[in-house]
Amino acid sequence: MADQRSAPATGTALSEREPQELPTAIDRYEAPDGAAAPAGPVGAADLVEPAVAGEPAIAEESVVAGEPAVAPARRPSALARRARRVASRAATKSGAILLLLAAWEVLPRIGVFDRVFVPPLSEDLVVWYGLLLDGPLPEHLQASLIRSLSGFGLAIALAIPLGLLIGWYRPVADALTPLLEVFRNTSPVALLPVFTLILGIGETSKITFVLYACSWPILLNTVSGVKTVEPLLIRSARSMGLGPVRLFQKVILPAAVPAIFTGVRLAGAYSILVLLFAEMVGAKAGLGYLILDTQSSFRIPEMYAGIITISALGLLFNLLLLRIERRFSTWRTT
Amino acid sequence: MTTTAVTSKIGIRDVRKVFQVRDGGEPFVALDGVDLDVREGEFLALVGPSGCGKSTLLDLVAGLTAPTAGEIVIDGAPVTGPGLDRGIVFQQYALFPWRTAQANVEFGLEAKAVPRRERRERARHYLDLVGLTGFEERYPHELSGGMRQRVAIARSLAFDPDVLLMDEPFAALDAQTRESLQEELLRIWDKTGKTIIFITHGIDEAVYLGQRVAVMTSRPGTIKEVVEVAFDSRAGDLRADPAFGEYRHHVWTLLRDEVAAAQVLERKAATARG
Ligand SMILES: Nc1ncnc2c1ncn2[C@@H]1O[C@H](COP(=O)(O)OP(=O)(O)OP(=O)(O)O)[C@@H](O)[C@H]1O
Ligand SMILES: [Mg+2]
Repeated sequence: MADQRSAPATGTALSEREPQELPTAIDRYEAPDGAAAPAGPVGAADLVEPAVAGEPAIAEESVVAGEPAVAPARRPSALARRARRVASRAATKSGAILLLLAAWEVLPRIGVFDRVFVPPLSEDLVVWYGLLLDGPLPEHLQASLIRSLSGFGLAIALAIPLGLLIGWYRPVADALTPLLEVFRNTSPVALLPVFTLILGIGETSKITFVLYACSWPILLNTVSGVKTVEPLLIRSARSMGLGPVRLFQKVILPAAVPAIFTGVRLAGAYSILVLLFAEMVGAKAGLGYLILDTQSSFRIPEMYAGIITISALGLLFNLLLLRIERRFSTWRTT
Repeated sequence: MTTTAVTSKIGIRDVRKVFQVRDGGEPFVALDGVDLDVREGEFLALVGPSGCGKSTLLDLVAGLTAPTAGEIVIDGAPVTGPGLDRGIVFQQYALFPWRTAQANVEFGLEAKAVPRRERRERARHYLDLVGLTGFEERYPHELSGGMRQRVAIARSLAFDPDVLLMDEPFAALDAQTRESLQEELLRIWDKTGKTIIFITHGIDEAVYLGQRVAVMTSRPGTIKEVVEVAFDSRAGDLRADPAFGEYRHHVWTLLRDEVAAAQVLERKAATARG
């Protein structure tokens, strides 16, 4: 222990070099170190695992492939236990969906629903497959995707920088917040006629409409992400001499990333939801058009094929964005 | 510079800090007439009743806020803003949650434009110093409270500030962790000869760590007395030393009146508001 503490001034001169020669960590810390070390990769894997319900099996394989020789006796049982856990979790998660699909198949067949209006799922799927292979489905899908993705991409490119700017300059944020609230609480769909009036019924109008709808969640989440950065972190960074630019780059931006991604993910869902509306008004292609058109000409199974496509597309898109979001915010506690 | 400026590392000269209160009441005097000199390489413990302005004083020394009146000098030069010559350890850790332990420690080094390779080495060295070898790649949420605090300490040590400002750094820790960190801190201080201001609520902690213990009055805070703590030897269980008990009792007596005064003040403020 420090028994020369009454003479600190003499120690000062040596201070610069001395840390280099220090013996390394005290022994008592090595016990938790050793105990915790194996927990590292497991913990990391656990973080990934619940993320993608279908995937853990793959992650598991790669772990095993990486170190097949290590403790072969204990591996299989642990593996089996985990596989069982994953399977039961998958069952819990997909139970409700399987039930819905089963009801869709069975109820029309036993006459609870009119088969004309709600054909059994299998029939819809057959029609869907046909449309996909040699029908107009790919063409509609492509039209929708181009509109969605362009609007969505433009919204990202515009709303993130704008949100950062608004969030960073508090006076701007204070001045604009009421206006943003008004727009946010006005359904974009209510404004669709306005877009059609001004921009016509062409692609520009539809893409702009998606862009508009997608911008709000991104913008608002970015603004709040920037505004809600823990003040203590800002103080901490400032105490280490960071100027405004570096502060923004090294603290504000990384701190806001999860909020921004939440906005992006919401916008991804919006981009498909609102596009349907746009495509139901004066479009000649697209999934929205397909659904409306088949419904009005009474091609009911084809209508359901369109609906299934939309639903799958939305799910897929959301899953993709969720994965990207996770990748960028692994540091979050949850 | 005069000779006193050489031995005095930090000079706090008649400092006053007034906060403008939002609801338009009269201005809030947090500190008034604070005079304190901290010597080069000294370990100064600062105690005082809750709300007396200890953190406020530390912010001023850090340069995060400016005094309303008076001045703070470091090495004879007035403080005009934050700088890497002073490192702060905040009570709530203040680690960047998106950075690993290693990257957190590197933060100050990046600010200092230390080359990447050296940054990495230095960060590892200081993590090692606080006993966190093997935890470099952990994110703060994967560390215990005590480990986080040690990362924060390593971060402040890594950019090698002359002055270490610590605001109740061990308050949230369990007794065992606190004691081991206290010893580590003394060891580090002993090796590096940094000037340390250490705020604490613990009288034991203050007497154990500080070469001097500055006791503050209740609000508006000012320095009531600075107690010199000198033991013949620090070998063995210092806390069992009779001298330890005497210092402890002395500081306790000084504080008791101030804590009582602070409580009266708080009650008065509460009734005035109600
Ligand atoms: N930014 C601020 N605006 C207004 N009042 C403030 C501000 N910061 C601190 N105060 C007030 O100044 C007084 C001193 O606060 P400070 O945080 O320095 O106390 P402290 O001694 O650190 O207390 P504790 O021991 O509880 O941490 C408190 O009464 C607090 O309410
Ligand atoms: Mg405080």
